[in-house]
Amino acid sequence: MSQPLSTNSSVAGKSKVAIFYLALILATLIWFTPVITLVLTALKDAGDFAVNGAFSLPKFIRWANFSAAWETGVKNYFWNSVIVTGIKVPIGIALESMAAFALTHMHFKWADRIFTYILIGLIVPVQMTLVPLTLLMNALNLIDTLTGLTILYIGFGVPFGVLVMRGFFRTLPTAIIEAARIDGCSWFRIFYRIALPLALPAVISLCILDGVATWNEFILAQIFLRSDELRTLPLGLVQFSTQFSTQYDQLAAAVLIAVVPVVIVFLFFQRYFVAGMGGAIK
Amino acid sequence: MIYSAWLSLFRWDGVAPTKVFVGLDNYGNLLTQNDVFWIALRNNAIWLVAALLLPTSIGLGLAVLLNSKFRGSHIFRSVFYFPSVLSLAVVGLIWTWIYHPDLGLLNQALTASGLQSSTRNWLSDPNIALYPVIIAATWNAVGLPMLLFLAGLQTIPEELHEAAKVEGAGPVRRFLYVTFPLLRETTLIVLAITAINALKAYDIIYAMTNGGPANSTQLLSTWMYFLTYNYNQVGLGTAIAVVLFLLTLIFAIPYIRFMTRKT
Repeated sequence: MSQPLSTNSSVAGKSKVAIFYLALILATLIWFTPVITLVLTALKDAGDFAVNGAFSLPKFIRWANFSAAWETGVKNYFWNSVIVTGIKVPIGIALESMAAFALTHMHFKWADRIFTYILIGLIVPVQMTLVPLTLLMNALNLIDTLTGLTILYIGFGVPFGVLVMRGFFRTLPTAIIEAARIDGCSWFRIFYRIALPLALPAVISLCILDGVATWNEFILAQIFLRSDELRTLPLGLVQFSTQFSTQYDQLAAAVLIAVVPVVIVFLFFQRYFVAGMGGAIK
Repeated sequence: MIYSAWLSLFRWDGVAPTKVFVGLDNYGNLLTQNDVFWIALRNNAIWLVAALLLPTSIGLGLAVLLNSKFRGSHIFRSVFYFPSVLSLAVVGLIWTWIYHPDLGLLNQALTASGLQSSTRNWLSDPNIALYPVIIAATWNAVGLPMLLFLAGLQTIPEELHEAAKVEGAGPVRRFLYVTFPLLRETTLIVLAITAINALKAYDIIYAMTNGGPANSTQLLSTWMYFLTYNYNQVGLGTAIAVVLFLLTLIFAIPYIRFMTRKT
């Protein structure tokens, strides 16, 4: 009696599993439709696109779209984004991890209040700060410079960075730090030699989350950069789309160039995305 | 920030050396004469409701589905998280093509499946243009709630589910009476973060509709930009920023309380 029943249920089980996977794969395809469209559009020429639409395989693969987009201005945008992200992330993380360490382990007066104050930076709409910042940057002659934009990015990155690093530093046993303190170790040495190496996974997570966020940032770049040759990628792409609104092939290629670095980072470091976001709500 | 609130009390074009103190007139002006302000406020409300319902419930569903350890569950997690790493400007551009009236995938698919009558000029119709943008934003926004719910699910001990199973509870009842109550804290964080992010929406509007057609898709954030930087009405613009900030506070105060508890 039990024998046929179990075979029966395992067959039912198997078909259940198959249906489950089929549904998931179908959902994945639908979910990726926009991305597939993007890639297909970038790989075909404009005529093919106009005749056969976005969602058909290209007649022949047209790599020239990429070089054309690159030469029309994406090159500049790309390197601007690389420079800003490359400078912002290391400086930001150095500042944020030191601040987070001080706030969690140095037990000074008002540490909690300072943390709350920093957290407010996470929720204030950026619109609230735009006008005063415009006046400030104007006074400092930093409007329309990558330096000015990088400084703003470092500032705006502090709340999230401190939040993530604090989430990690809180898990460090205070015993280690007190022991080092008793041995006469300076606070900076404790931070640099003990806390930071232990926090390496958190630092990598933050590097990636912060790098992607900086790479993608739009509104500050839009307000504080004026000349075309200084634009970063997201801003440049939107500009590109209004200028060459009908050249979908080149535009899609340009978007793809902007997306590829993020995709690579995501593929190699995806577990750090999870770890980093987890740190932010600890 | 405080300077912004201060500026919102003046009439100023951003350039002239003198600012005229007008007290709360800017706010009065917004509320009574600035029609677009009301459109934007209504759009923000729609956006907020959609953001609290769609990405959160889809994220929760995916998290519950992908929490069980089956072969490939990690790949599927990455798949559904992926749009979240793209910039909203890029998301906006990609979806603009999908909604393109002639060449866009959506209208082509509708035509191909015989639903020609449902094809629309999605982003150029003032009555509906906001909704396609919200769909695009949802595609991008699902990843974060999913991750947070997954993290929350990991903290629920397996024994509870086993116990409920032994008691004869089916998957739906297990979710309603075991999983969901234990995710209460996560749910609150997710709702707060989604709401705060929803009020920050800006890039995607700028990339997809630029506030149009006829200002029908303006949000407070974009209208603030237009008033301040295109029409040089700095006082009005900063007044909108203050309104936006106050709206954010409704969700942010509980969130900050939560983040700084147990210290």
